[in-house]
Amino acid sequence: MSTYAEKYFPEEPSGPKVVTETIPGPKGKAAIKSLSEVFDTRCTFFITDYSKSIGNYIVDADGNVLLDAYCQVASIGMGYNNPNLIKVAKSDKMVRAIVDRPALGNFAGVDYEEMQRDVIKYAPKGQKYVWNGLSGADANELALKAVFFNYQSTKRGFDNPFTPEEEVSVMQNLPPGNPELAVLSFTRAFHGRLFATASLTRSKPLHKMDMPAFHWPTAEFPGYKYPLEGNEEVNKKEDERCLALVEDRFKNWGSPIAAVIVEPIQSEGGDNHADAAFFQGLRDITLKYGAKLIIDEVQTGCGGTGIMWDHERYNITPPPDLVTFSKKMQSSGYFFHDPKLVPNLPYRQFNTWCGDPKNILMSGAIMKEINEKDLLPALRETGLYFYSKLEELQKEFPGFIRNLRGKGKGCFMAFDVPSPEKRAEFLAKMRINGVNLGDCGEVGVRLRPGLVFGKKHVDIFIPIARKVIASL
Amino acid sequence: MPIADKYFPDEPKAPHMITPCPGPASKAKLAELSTAFDTKAAFFIADFYNSLGNYICDADGNLLLDAYCQISSIALGYNNPELLKAAQTKEMATALVNRPALACFPSSDYYEILKEGLLSVAPEGLDRVCTAHTGSDANEMAFKACLMYQATKKRAGKPFTQLELDSVMKNETPGASDMVILSFTNGFHGRLFGSLSTTHSKPIHKLDIPAFPWPTAPFPTVKYPLEDHVEENKAEDERCLKELDHVLSTFPHQIAAAIIEPVQSEGGDNHASATFFQGVRELTKKHGVLLIVDEVQCGGGGSGKMWLHQHYGIRPDLMTFSKKMQNAGFFYHDPLLAGDRPYRQFNTWCGDPSKALIAKAIIHEIKENDLLKGVNETAEYLYGKLEEIREKYSKLVLNLRGKGRGFFIAFDMPSAEIRDKFLWGCRQKGLNLGGCGDVGVRLRPGLTFGKKHVDILVGVVESELSEMSNH
Ligand SMILES: Cc1ncc(COP(=O)(O)O)c(C=O)c1O
Ligand SMILES: Cc1ncc(COP(=O)(O)O)c(C=O)c1O
Repeated sequence: MSTYAEKYFPEEPSGPKVVTETIPGPKGKAAIKSLSEVFDTRCTFFITDYSKSIGNYIVDADGNVLLDAYCQVASIGMGYNNPNLIKVAKSDKMVRAIVDRPALGNFAGVDYEEMQRDVIKYAPKGQKYVWNGLSGADANELALKAVFFNYQSTKRGFDNPFTPEEEVSVMQNLPPGNPELAVLSFTRAFHGRLFATASLTRSKPLHKMDMPAFHWPTAEFPGYKYPLEGNEEVNKKEDERCLALVEDRFKNWGSPIAAVIVEPIQSEGGDNHADAAFFQGLRDITLKYGAKLIIDEVQTGCGGTGIMWDHERYNITPPPDLVTFSKKMQSSGYFFHDPKLVPNLPYRQFNTWCGDPKNILMSGAIMKEINEKDLLPALRETGLYFYSKLEELQKEFPGFIRNLRGKGKGCFMAFDVPSPEKRAEFLAKMRINGVNLGDCGEVGVRLRPGLVFGKKHVDIFIPIARKVIASL
Repeated sequence: MPIADKYFPDEPKAPHMITPCPGPASKAKLAELSTAFDTKAAFFIADFYNSLGNYICDADGNLLLDAYCQISSIALGYNNPELLKAAQTKEMATALVNRPALACFPSSDYYEILKEGLLSVAPEGLDRVCTAHTGSDANEMAFKACLMYQATKKRAGKPFTQLELDSVMKNETPGASDMVILSFTNGFHGRLFGSLSTTHSKPIHKLDIPAFPWPTAPFPTVKYPLEDHVEENKAEDERCLKELDHVLSTFPHQIAAAIIEPVQSEGGDNHASATFFQGVRELTKKHGVLLIVDEVQCGGGGSGKMWLHQHYGIRPDLMTFSKKMQNAGFFYHDPLLAGDRPYRQFNTWCGDPSKALIAKAIIHEIKENDLLKGVNETAEYLYGKLEEIREKYSKLVLNLRGKGRGFFIAFDMPSAEIRDKFLWGCRQKGLNLGGCGDVGVRLRPGLTFGKKHVDILVGVVESELSEMSNH
């Protein structure tokens, strides 16, 4: 039986092809130079020719063809130029969505409900409604707003009016109108880079430096010992220690904690995993203290870990209050189930566009494709195969590959290398040998291929990695 | 030939109302939709497939002349044929299915798209762009740019200190900044946490959300008609500038930037004089404060110039945009505003090439058809008609304003209830209009609005006012 990639990307290259001595090569460098006159290019890996990229392969301006295991910072799930998505892109619905972009909160279109239901159909278990944003950070901040509205109106009585003191103080950015409420996030967490989300983000100083921040608490995210087999006891203690810290914050923080936000796998912060006991523990504590639990599935969601929503594997009970999404969904926002997370009055959770039908349409199409073509079972299989191959590599190079993690979570895997310098060298050499990869945390290498990555791509990846590591 | 005749030969000749608005079909659809999505702010369900040009169609088949245009964000009419073409190109399909992480892997055509599109209309002196996703996002990224810029200047080439590196992870100073962003009373700059801290339009926009303790300075309250209040308005400008100077001199924390709208839109369509804006520019310069002009609502040609602040002859350090451009972001010049090192101003998508493509197509149409000239001509005609109406209904139509500012025209009504009743009444007669501030009515037609549309708008407004004054 042919794989999804074989079926839908029949012209996918059989392997990488590097034609210049450096990446970017001369054409790419020239293009970066002109672009840099008008747009900040200091983060640019290379200039991409998207019209030539296909499936799991990204093509740069010099014609280099790279196997892509980074996929636009984990945001392209379906491969480049997926023919089934191109059909959606060319549909009449899409064309109209682009040309007549509505202010959704005021003037939703006749076809909007169907588009939205095509997304909600695949919402995480227990979630019923959605509110749309336009980036991961935006989705998280909107979720925070929903929580704060809810917290204060619960206190006030859901339909009770604001007090005159609230209405006056709020115009001066002061309590009680602007209350001092907090949200707890974890060390090494990443939730975005706008003002509230940057206050929650604790991955690296550079992500936060020089921004005014809310004085919100953190607790430690578990740091497990690997391999997990054989370290059960230590890791269980670690869960308990971290949960005790969370509870301590609830008891002792100077302002009320309205929510806890957590990633199922801390991605930017180093691919740190935790287990069901930890997540259930968070659920129990948030319930005990009347706080909401927000799961940030921006990077993990939409199939990346071999299941649609990563937190579902933990069977958190009752389900989280809000689940945020972006990236692979190509649309952003949050799912929720309590109608009281919708504010009592209009124009509180509001902005001009309130999302974008263009994105929502794409999102529905992506999830339909994932489910109809049964991409996730295949991805889980590829993931196990990939993991076993990386395990072999780890045995071969125990001094280089450490803490291999992500087993059983599709291809959402990572490992550590000895130092940031070694990592930079490794990533650069992988690239010039035909594999595009990304990093995370201090010394992590993360694998973020699309959902259409198959065993044959693993078989291309592994020998290149072996050769590169041997050369280091 | 008026541009609407060229683009939309089949545009309806007049509004056509079959049912009340919202009618039974809209109501039924809203009831359904509300089980998945908050619909409390919905006017009606729109049928964009049957909307055309300056007319929006609703789910009941009612056709309304639209002078609100998706909160001022549709520039060239519904189903504009040139934009339909742009949306059907191969470039667009490629951009849609291969959305890049723009800062890391920009597409080979992104430079051309920016150069021929957004940058070709950048205000004088601002030659770089940072792209974003919404108006709020654009403003917050502009704040970040200013905060990092000022901190970098202060550090004078020294690396981050250990204390900064440690404290920032606890959200404490000195790593977390105690610098502030100044905004103006009644301003509106968005609804995320940083932008909401600079928004001072209405309590409902801000209540229950934690905020930064950032300062404000007063925005002038102008008296109308301008001819009759020259001295008072001049004194008001001076008072506000003096107060601004005072805040800039005495606020206990460093003010990284000031943000201002050329016309305060959500806050009530408050205009101020060129003198005031020039004063703001001079004072911010004098105090080493960066000036951000928020053109999210004013920009894109509705004012008869591409950017409304160009009416005042000032040059800001940053200018934000969104809405009519369909692509959000900010223009700037000083490269240090991009951060002293990479990955400081960063996020996954950093914009969206499909939006940059649409922006380019919109800009091309504005230039190609000299749409701003048309806006100015039509707007002058519109303003004249509204002046007549104000004369006739002087008890209901107050503070008519926006002369010489293209379609950026507004007036007040005696109370919020009367205003809301008026807006509702106009909608029943086939004219879609928006409110702003407590008692304002704002006009926000697209750039394809012509004299024949003015005649219809004026007819509906007049008939509604006449009914209201007879009651
Ligand atoms: C878990 C998580 N949350 C939020 C974000 C922020 O998303 P965006 O970059 O779209 O603002 C990211 C981005 O990497 C993320 O990984
Ligand atoms: C002047 C101004 N700035 C910012 C915004 C916020 O834009 P958005 O609603 O896209 O976040 C608006 C929206 O109305 C605005 O009018």
